[in-house]
Amino acid sequence: MAAWDLSITVEDLGPDAEPITISVTSDLHVGGVMARLVEKTQITRDWSDRALWWEQKQQWLLRTSWTLEKYGIHADARLLFTPQHKPLKLGLPNGITLKLLASFSSPVFSSVIGICKMLNIRRPEELSLLRPVEEKKKKKKDKDLTEEIYDLTEVPLTSGSRPCLYNGMPAHFADSPKMEAIYKMLSVTQPPPAPEVLAKQYRPSSVVDKAHINGRWLDSSRCLMQQGIQENDRLWLRFKYYTFYDIEPKYDVVRLTQLYEQARWAILLEDIDCTEEEMMLFGALQYHISKVSLSEPQMQISSPAMEDLELALQCLEVKMEGKSSSASELLENITAPELNDYLKIFRPKKLTLTPYKQYWFKFQDMVISSFKSKEESSGEPIQQINLKGCEVAPDVSLASQKFIIKLRIPAPEGMNEVHLRCENEQQYAQWMAACRLASKGKTLADSSFQSEIQSIHTFLAMQKTNSGTNSSAAAGDESINAYSLVSPRYHKKNKAKQLTPLILDACRNVAELSLTDAMLRFVQMWQALPDFGLSYVVVRFKGSRKDEVLGIAPNRLIRIDLGVGDVVQTWRYNNMKQWNVNWDIRQMAIEFEGNINIAFSCVTADCKIVHEFIGGYIFMSTRSREKSDTLNEDLFRKLTGGHEVH
Amino acid sequence: MEQVSDDELDHGAEEDSDKEDQDLDKMFGAWLGELDKLTQSLDDGRPQKALQKPPLRQETNMANFSYRFSMYNINEALNQGETVDLDALMADLCSIEQELSTISRPNSTSRGQSKGQQRAPGRSASTKHTGTGGGGSSNSRPAASNISLDDITSQLEKASLSMDEAARQTSSSSSSTGSMGGVSEQEAPSQRSSVNSACASASSMDSLDIDKVMTASEEEQAAKLKAEKIRVALEKIKEAQVKKLVIRVHMSDESSKTMMVDERQSVRQVLDSLLDKSHCGYSPDWSLVETISELQMERIFEDHENLVENLLNWTRDSHNKLMFTERIEKYALFKNPQNYLLGRKETSEMADRNKEALLEECFCGVSVSVPEIEGVLWLKEDGKKSWKKRYFLLRASGIYYVPKGKAKASRDLVCFLQLDHVNVYYGQDYRSKYKAPTDYCLALKHPQIQKKSQYIKYLCCDDVRTLHQWVNGIRIAKYGKQLYGNYQEAMKRTEAAYDWSSLSTSSIRSGSSSVSIPESQSNHSGHSDSGVDTGSHGRSQSVVSSIFSEAWKRGTQIEENTKVLRSPSLSLRLNLKT
Repeated sequence: MAAWDLSITVEDLGPDAEPITISVTSDLHVGGVMARLVEKTQITRDWSDRALWWEQKQQWLLRTSWTLEKYGIHADARLLFTPQHKPLKLGLPNGITLKLLASFSSPVFSSVIGICKMLNIRRPEELSLLRPVEEKKKKKKDKDLTEEIYDLTEVPLTSGSRPCLYNGMPAHFADSPKMEAIYKMLSVTQPPPAPEVLAKQYRPSSVVDKAHINGRWLDSSRCLMQQGIQENDRLWLRFKYYTFYDIEPKYDVVRLTQLYEQARWAILLEDIDCTEEEMMLFGALQYHISKVSLSEPQMQISSPAMEDLELALQCLEVKMEGKSSSASELLENITAPELNDYLKIFRPKKLTLTPYKQYWFKFQDMVISSFKSKEESSGEPIQQINLKGCEVAPDVSLASQKFIIKLRIPAPEGMNEVHLRCENEQQYAQWMAACRLASKGKTLADSSFQSEIQSIHTFLAMQKTNSGTNSSAAAGDESINAYSLVSPRYHKKNKAKQLTPLILDACRNVAELSLTDAMLRFVQMWQALPDFGLSYVVVRFKGSRKDEVLGIAPNRLIRIDLGVGDVVQTWRYNNMKQWNVNWDIRQMAIEFEGNINIAFSCVTADCKIVHEFIGGYIFMSTRSREKSDTLNEDLFRKLTGGHEVH
Repeated sequence: MEQVSDDELDHGAEEDSDKEDQDLDKMFGAWLGELDKLTQSLDDGRPQKALQKPPLRQETNMANFSYRFSMYNINEALNQGETVDLDALMADLCSIEQELSTISRPNSTSRGQSKGQQRAPGRSASTKHTGTGGGGSSNSRPAASNISLDDITSQLEKASLSMDEAARQTSSSSSSTGSMGGVSEQEAPSQRSSVNSACASASSMDSLDIDKVMTASEEEQAAKLKAEKIRVALEKIKEAQVKKLVIRVHMSDESSKTMMVDERQSVRQVLDSLLDKSHCGYSPDWSLVETISELQMERIFEDHENLVENLLNWTRDSHNKLMFTERIEKYALFKNPQNYLLGRKETSEMADRNKEALLEECFCGVSVSVPEIEGVLWLKEDGKKSWKKRYFLLRASGIYYVPKGKAKASRDLVCFLQLDHVNVYYGQDYRSKYKAPTDYCLALKHPQIQKKSQYIKYLCCDDVRTLHQWVNGIRIAKYGKQLYGNYQEAMKRTEAAYDWSSLSTSSIRSGSSSVSIPESQSNHSGHSDSGVDTGSHGRSQSVVSSIFSEAWKRGTQIEENTKVLRSPSLSLRLNLKT
């Protein structure tokens, strides 16, 4: 067989190096080509990750046993001998950029699996890569200054199924303090963004805006090289399929953290709409999470039982130091700590002339008793308020030193309204905390009492800094701007001063949550929003003359009228019989049970993306039934691959 | 109500001695009335007693726990002279005693007293009150749970005392039956609210002691022994600090059952024991329904709820009812989820496979997806009998409405109610009560509210389907996965029961009512018709429930019924029938 010359560029020799020419015959297999090439360079090194890339055909020559003839390679082929894993700048959901080695030769689906393995994120099929939205080029200086890239390129490429863990993190993160810091960045939530940063970020204002992002997803059945991604390019890693299977906080520290971050930004940037009440609760959760993540040491799961014990011990100590009392009294006191103080009370229903009247109040066991004076507190109380099941709302103004606890107490006749006025911040924090716990059926002995008090204090501190007295330095790092916790829409609607009590009020239900529980709650609330999980694409239905929006959800497709914004039609995957893509005219046709057929072409995204979304969701729904931990890559490829695969 | 319960217990005793049931019932009713009178007069007569000085205000009735449960119900049971299953009640008590005897404490002096001398119990109880619960009057009020327990126990003791006496003077009491009917009226509201419960029972004890000294002449030993046993059991209950409540459950056939429930028991557990006892077949549709007659509303208790906690919300003189009936509404949501979860207007059929997938999708994810229910509803204006149309939306975080002149974008929605503190009720006959536009009303209120109040929100739907969609949507938003868990649990019981009873003829017979299609229909209208004593709302309920079954019957109802028919014996029965 005739020999001919094949010239191959070897990337490792540098960009200016001439291609190396070797003499080959058409029946030489690719492995042989590479062996000869390496021999010719006369360099001894580890060439193991290298492979041949055929530029004209945009194709890797990965089958080393195939001959050149089989690949159809002739002398005019431009071949590149290059590493299959290349560095990539990866933007994570939490806004941090990592630099790591990703596979440029395997389908993106597999590349993502590799990335997730490195980052210790389970269920990689839920994530994918997309091209980032171009940043405006105005602020070049800022960009250079602020951007910090965490380097993970040193991490060796493992082939094992799952990395073994040291101290709860993959072994490669335990190597050095630097690596540990990176892992911490991955697994601990980021502090709330500065309000200015938040305000500057791009926010989609319409469904069409929201649709554009979905045109950026990479094709998961082709490799990065084939999609024009170069070494050191920037990509985003995001949760693409909104069905988060089997979240197990014990193993899913990074996954949950990143999921929370993605949810948080979706809320803050108004990617998904919510009501004001919901926004305040989201704000409260963010506040709580940022507070707890600062105090709670990493990896340590708080144990309420221990806290209880400690509290009881403290209580015991105090009692022992105090007056000598009988054992039974002592026991009673441990189980029932109390608050005693002068407060003012007011009942808004009654038209009394003296609005606030002072009494001596005692708070014990979810019951507030009042007495004429401290001296009479040993006798029969004048009145008693049982707080179990009541509603508690704050009415606080630091400027006017107003500290009022508004109570609505259920009774057979309706709700009784009672206002309690406290003298100062300290008193207010304690009584408010006690009221909150009692309304939930907890006594002062509950372990969350102190943290409740603390959270009330810090919220009051927030109000201080927000009132514009420029005393933020004094307030310390505990203070957080309320504007960092809600989307910019509410910046206009409410002043920070008004916002704080709203968030504070929403906090009542979350104050005792652990870090993990709070993140889970945030994610669950996000999932409970009506528009959750919808990925939009602008489409043109067959026979229709105007653009419409197709919303792709985990369980259904919806058709949205662009003019009105209303959902016109819903189709569920459960009723779907088959779907087809006509790759020539880029049209999707779907058939549902009951002879329902729809067809549309895609405007803002390639129809491969839409096809992949639908197939992907169907793949996701098969997971629960299989009950096996191994990822069925073949099935995913079958469902999402398109014509190249069949 | 504990008074009465013990009366009944003693009936049990006297049934043994071959007395007429009805006469005895009346007799004890009379005693009860007189007891209350005594209590009242004593309280009125001794205002100077320091112990009786009540708190000026009581923000909630929680401190007066035991009074919140309706005495009316139990009294009524007596009045009607129904055959109350006294032996069962007795058995309950005995089992409690056994259970508790293992943990009984040796230092129970009062118990020794009561054992030693038969006339002492009243006194021993009163001293006990000052010792444990009575501390409330002298210094700080004790915890609510303590009080309630003492109350219950003391009332039971009080009642058992009256039984003793009744046993003694069997002849004299029958004449005073007339006074019984007035029990609830006799308890003037002012008195009721002001009575410091512990003191009240204590003082009435005193009076009883005196009374007894005067009247005691002959005693029936058997009854006394039984009463003694009960008393011992009660002591132990007190010691174990477990709340027990004697409740009256109205059955679908006009009868009622009196039973004892533990404060720890869930609705499911109570249902199970009712099903075991009443041999009415196992269907997941059996429900405990709370009827608040004063507000003309009702609610099916969820299986996971705590029954005692709910019943304690009732006021003492409440005419509320607890009914044990089959309600297809209870789990219709899971039998035809497509009608509730998809938020579409038309009734649709769906293959079982898809139903399961739909349920799994809705309830088995990380979070429960609340069905997207929205539409125009009528809202009753506060304090008026006028209704305004508004566009409402259900979200996981609560019920919202679209303010005037705004689009229904999430950000503009106004929060109507958050669901944490309220329960959802079916309104009954609001067309006449509140001039509602239709019969399909629902109400949302805090469970503790028992009387008319501005804090109760009334909504009215255009049709029955919308009503059920909203009620079930709210249930999903409120209870989430728990609801599905309840259903699965109920189905498990049903299937287990059918497997187990497939050979027993009795269960096949009883099972038929819930299985065959025509019968189940008649059964439903039957039970609501039977609620004659419920008055006007009984009628409206039958209207709603028959309309409901009509609407749901189309296509989907059949599947509903066949689904229960997994056991071969039952399908066989159906074949025979058809």
